[in-house]
Amino acid sequence: MTTPRTVAPARPASRPVPAGGPFTGAVAAEWTKLWSVRSTWWTLLAGVLVMAATAGQLAIYAANANTDDDPANNPGVVTVGSIVIGSLDLTQYAVLALGLLTVTSEYATGTIRTTLRCTPSRGRMLLAKAVVVAVVTFLFGLLLGGVGALVAGPVLGGWGRVPVAGTLGDALAAAVYLALVAVLALGLTAALRGAVLTLTVLLAALMIVPLSLQEPRITVLTRIADAFPGVAGAHFMAGDTDPYPAAAGVLLLAGWTVAALALGRAALRRRDA
Amino acid sequence: MRRWVRFVPSAQRGLTKRFGGTTAVDGLTVDIAPGRVTGFLGPNGAGKSTTMRMVLGLDRPTAGEALVDGRPYRALRHPLHEVGALLDATGVHPARSGRAHLRAMARSNGIPLRRVDEVLGLAGLDGRAADKLGRSLSLGMAQRLGIAGALLGDPPVLLFDEPVNGLDPDGVRWIRGLTRTLAGEGRTVLVSSHLMSEMQQTADQLLVIGRGRLIADAPVAELIAASASAAVLVRGPQPVALAALGERLAAEGATVTPHGADGLTVAGAAAERVGDLAYELGVRLHELTPVTGSLEQAFMELTADSVEYAGGAVGSEAR
Repeated sequence: MTTPRTVAPARPASRPVPAGGPFTGAVAAEWTKLWSVRSTWWTLLAGVLVMAATAGQLAIYAANANTDDDPANNPGVVTVGSIVIGSLDLTQYAVLALGLLTVTSEYATGTIRTTLRCTPSRGRMLLAKAVVVAVVTFLFGLLLGGVGALVAGPVLGGWGRVPVAGTLGDALAAAVYLALVAVLALGLTAALRGAVLTLTVLLAALMIVPLSLQEPRITVLTRIADAFPGVAGAHFMAGDTDPYPAAAGVLLLAGWTVAALALGRAALRRRDA
Repeated sequence: MRRWVRFVPSAQRGLTKRFGGTTAVDGLTVDIAPGRVTGFLGPNGAGKSTTMRMVLGLDRPTAGEALVDGRPYRALRHPLHEVGALLDATGVHPARSGRAHLRAMARSNGIPLRRVDEVLGLAGLDGRAADKLGRSLSLGMAQRLGIAGALLGDPPVLLFDEPVNGLDPDGVRWIRGLTRTLAGEGRTVLVSSHLMSEMQQTADQLLVIGRGRLIADAPVAELIAASASAAVLVRGPQPVALAALGERLAAEGATVTPHGADGLTVAGAAAERVGDLAYELGVRLHELTPVTGSLEQAFMELTADSVEYAGGAVGSEAR
């Protein structure tokens, strides 16, 4: 067994010194990767289309409910912001697909091995992805808010209001919600790895379980449902004061997101790539 | 002499990786020295790729540690400046261009983007090939792209897993030249292969593994000389007389094995001695050929006991 235990000399002058820290680099790499595949653009396009369709549909419902023969259900004049937020129930899946894809596509194609060779720290890699997904989905959320408002406004006609500050606030809340849910999806995908399993868990956690818990007459179950990330996000966006203030809702959702990231990091560290 | 790779034992046991019940890598303890090409040779399934993946921090060792210049890969801040690697799976997204793939890699380690064009040139990929999407790359182009990625950070340690796979003869020659050049510049170069002939042409030092265990760690020339050398092939038309010759040689301490219907392979006796003895016994010979050992032969003998998918009984007198 040969054993040349040489001490490594200083880096020769010809070799470039790395510019920037490893985290900055990891974020830049994730950014480059996200925008160099076409599926990102398709996902965004799908999000815009779903938002436009859903906002249009909800606006028609609201207008119809005010003009049909049933006097029991008249929402009256609604804000376009409330239509936008209502449309997120469906639209969010196109947005969280972005968080999902950044991980599943790497495992499906083997690029995860390249990524981890570039950024071997699992936590740093996941956090870099989280930063990119959060920034992109936040900005995209603002765009979706605009799209939803532009569609809902004309459809509502006289039944709609567009208070400038309120609509901007609603769009901002929607963007924050979407960013947090997308990063939640990212962390969960890192933990569970498979797209189908992750999507199933997300559907259950965001919609199915809390929906089945929300029995109007059983307060305990409703309170449990209030702890779920989707419901917490809904309370935040609606600006509720009951069962907890809106700020508590966003903090609760952020807590779920941080927990998902921690779970994802733990799984990545343990698992062979 | 710049950097080296070490597989460090923990509690007297070397680098080990188990997947469930199977042991893929079993107690490897070895240093890989800079300034030369180290061939990493073993049959398919011997644990070469798993070992390389452990060096790169992709697989977690069950026991032991793989260190690069004294540190585990996962502790490196800018690993592409320390270790370049080509894995058998190239790891390019099918919908991403090779250029974008390299740019993302470069950005992750603070490497200026002009270096991407440099390594594309070094790997012999022109602009058109670089702009192709991962799914439309031929195996040869994907290998070249993988090598370009390995060279991005100008690293002192290079790991190439089966680099000649899928390359045309030009590409194979190019890889040989490249590995020699890189080692000549003082880098640590580890090249895995299941092709012994390939190793004979490029490697200085050989690590031979079988079933995850280290079988040999020696200079190529020494391995060839040590095993299966000095054999002599004798053929003649008189089976009985030839058998008598074989018995005389065996009595003198040579190892005699039948070769075909009319021949003998004699190990441990010089061709001169075999010829003299045949003359003495009056045995007619049609052939008397000294057989020099090839690395191929040495390899077969070394790994005969450890071939994962043996096609049948293989002689293993060397072990």
